[in-house]
Amino acid sequence: MVATDFTSPLMRTTTGGNHHGFTSKFSIRSPSVPNLRQQLYSETNNYSAPAIEGIPNNKDAINDQRSNSEEYGGSLSVIDLYDDNDSESPQKKSTRSITGLEDFQKDVGELNSMSADHSNDDLRRSNSITIDINENEHTDRYGFKKQSTFISEADYNSWWNDYSKYCVRRKFKWKLLLEKGGLPVDNDSPTRFPSKSEKLKRYVRKGIPAEWRGDAWWYFARGQEKLNRHKGVYDTLLVKVNKITEQKDHDNVFTDLEIIERDLNRTFPDNIHFQKQSPQDEEPELIKSLRRVLVAFSLYNPKIGYCQSMNFIAGLLLLFLDEERAFWMLVIITSRYLPGVHDVNLEGVNIDQGVLMLCVKEYLPEIWSYIAPITNKKGASNNRRTTSSTSRKNRSLIIKNEFLYRLPPITLCTASWFMSCFIGILPIETTLRVWDCMFYEESHFLFKISLSILKLSENDLLRHKKHRHGGGILSYGIKGGNSSNTSLGSSNDAASEDGDMEIFQIIQTFPKKLLNPNDIFDKVIFKRKYSFNRLDQDEVDRCRKYVSSQRTKYKHYIDTVEKQEIRGIDKSTNHIGEKENILTSEMDEDTINEALSSEVYGFKRNLTGVHWNNSLKAKVRQMKKKIDREV
Amino acid sequence: MGSSISKTLGRLFGSTEMKILMLGLDNAGKTTILYKLKLNKIKTSTPTVGFNVETVSYKNVKFNMWDVGGQERLRPLWRHYFPATTALIFVIDSSDQERLNEAKEELYSIISEKEMEKVVLLVWANKQDLKGAMKPQDVSSFLELDKNLKNQLWCVIGSNALTGQGLVEGLSWISNNTAKQ
Repeated sequence: MVATDFTSPLMRTTTGGNHHGFTSKFSIRSPSVPNLRQQLYSETNNYSAPAIEGIPNNKDAINDQRSNSEEYGGSLSVIDLYDDNDSESPQKKSTRSITGLEDFQKDVGELNSMSADHSNDDLRRSNSITIDINENEHTDRYGFKKQSTFISEADYNSWWNDYSKYCVRRKFKWKLLLEKGGLPVDNDSPTRFPSKSEKLKRYVRKGIPAEWRGDAWWYFARGQEKLNRHKGVYDTLLVKVNKITEQKDHDNVFTDLEIIERDLNRTFPDNIHFQKQSPQDEEPELIKSLRRVLVAFSLYNPKIGYCQSMNFIAGLLLLFLDEERAFWMLVIITSRYLPGVHDVNLEGVNIDQGVLMLCVKEYLPEIWSYIAPITNKKGASNNRRTTSSTSRKNRSLIIKNEFLYRLPPITLCTASWFMSCFIGILPIETTLRVWDCMFYEESHFLFKISLSILKLSENDLLRHKKHRHGGGILSYGIKGGNSSNTSLGSSNDAASEDGDMEIFQIIQTFPKKLLNPNDIFDKVIFKRKYSFNRLDQDEVDRCRKYVSSQRTKYKHYIDTVEKQEIRGIDKSTNHIGEKENILTSEMDEDTINEALSSEVYGFKRNLTGVHWNNSLKAKVRQMKKKIDREV
Repeated sequence: MGSSISKTLGRLFGSTEMKILMLGLDNAGKTTILYKLKLNKIKTSTPTVGFNVETVSYKNVKFNMWDVGGQERLRPLWRHYFPATTALIFVIDSSDQERLNEAKEELYSIISEKEMEKVVLLVWANKQDLKGAMKPQDVSSFLELDKNLKNQLWCVIGSNALTGQGLVEGLSWISNNTAKQ
């Protein structure tokens, strides 16, 4: 966002004015902040908005600047603002409609005299949506159905009644914070935010105001930097996209398109912005945008192409950002926050699951003892029969870390948490809160939130532990396809199978009930007593590296063992070529043993040499900075 | 030992449990079927990232049904986690004739795996309500299971997840044909 003018002296004074205006407005409303639903549907009849002087003018001035300086359009959010009816300005009030959507359209019209075609599409979209009151009553401010399999509409409404007030309070605090930092918010769409601090982190964790989200994410994820480095790239991609999508017989031309096409209409079927209102309607504009973003992405990054779950990520982005920015955010998410997770070989998912399992082992040992794979003969070692006695000896050591390669079955559940970045896993408001923190705190937050969910579900999980027989942990399958042992399954008796089902069902359904984001945050994330809250980006990065190298070594080892088995070579006899001999003995004896058993990952509490060094370095750096500042 | 006794007892008194894996190409209707069976409700169709697992009880048989979703490229993530499967259900979108071949290839690549050697195979020729849907018989002859599956029990049943047609028949076929094993 180019918004340097916003800090001009003129703007500062007007900001000050707004500040007072807002304060007084807030004090009028604060005792009984009405909830969105009532407001939206009580029509607007008797509502008299406290006028805020000066704002319309400021707004116009800013809009002018914006339309001059912005090439790609401002934030196009389709949120039905919760304080929509609080009448930010008399002007807005007069244009307000029953649904709030025309408002949005108006805002869009005001904010963007846009050049790009796709943004005009968005305008058309807002025109094309006609919502009757009854229908809208069942959807939240983002257009999602309030009701889900696990949450009734009544539950939603009673929660929202309180939560909407919370949102208004938070937004007020955000406004104060921004104004204190000299960042204007008078058009209700700040594009710049204060620099990182503990305070701001706390603010983000308590939720970014919904209508600022797009811009805030964009800011914290340094989207503009990315866009500036790739000016015009999206437009070029769009030209190609159009060529591809117009070609009707795209047999071998572009297979991703076909796969994308199948998922388009299945993305957010519960959201009015992604659904046709009636069968004869034209395709919703957001679906068109989604198609362009996904196809453009698969052209831009063929290493990833299109991977299911990206449709959800892109779809959610499109609810908060214009198309071009949504595209770049998708690029950023798939590279910075979820590195390798959507790659064709899926190694990124496996690494992150390995990291998560390491974390569970470290921070939630109770749960770990419950979900960890069996390390006795039943489990892994039965899978492969090796003739060499040395490798058998090694195996007992190797097993220590085997779970990084043969991931525990629980990761079947948790992998999708990462792939879809919690969309569809957590209820939408909670998902958005996670996104707020992810963009601000980087990817380690995803691990924190995963651990928090597991922690919260601990009681449910452990309750079932009693019902379980013996040590029959989740049936440990044959990952990697390098086994031929079909008898493995018989080690599960009905009881443990039952237990497995229960664990899976808990892990599957528990997060879907976390309607109130504050539940996770107040109960876990803000609590110091949970040691996993010490996790930071540095730790997760190191963890990822460690798991990645362990997996590579393990894979190498498995491959070698397999080769040996296939050729029926007994290692004790010397019938193999010299080169191979060196290779295999190296693999079996030293590399593996050393790599997989002695290299145990140490979390920071253990202050190993490296950690100590690092923390010392950091301290020295801090001291230097201090001295510099003082000088 | 203990488990076999409880299973025998279960059979005598009519409660038994089986693990069922439900596979098929994306958009075949697996999740819709699962929730029709579980909740008797139609869930809006959305791609399954990961899987859904639900217990469905029918005639004293508890079916632990694993609906594994995801496009083809996601399959390596979970493919090998499913040993001890009693039955494999393969769901086919009978209206999507263009992808029938793809479905066939996928089916054969699954049942050719070692751990699928002993499972009974049920094919649901789904979406029978749609215009141009292939009849179950045609799907069956297209799949050529009679030629290729000599040692396995299999069955193709037409289904419509929206109305529930064919679903109970499928489950009862499975329970009838696994009890004997």
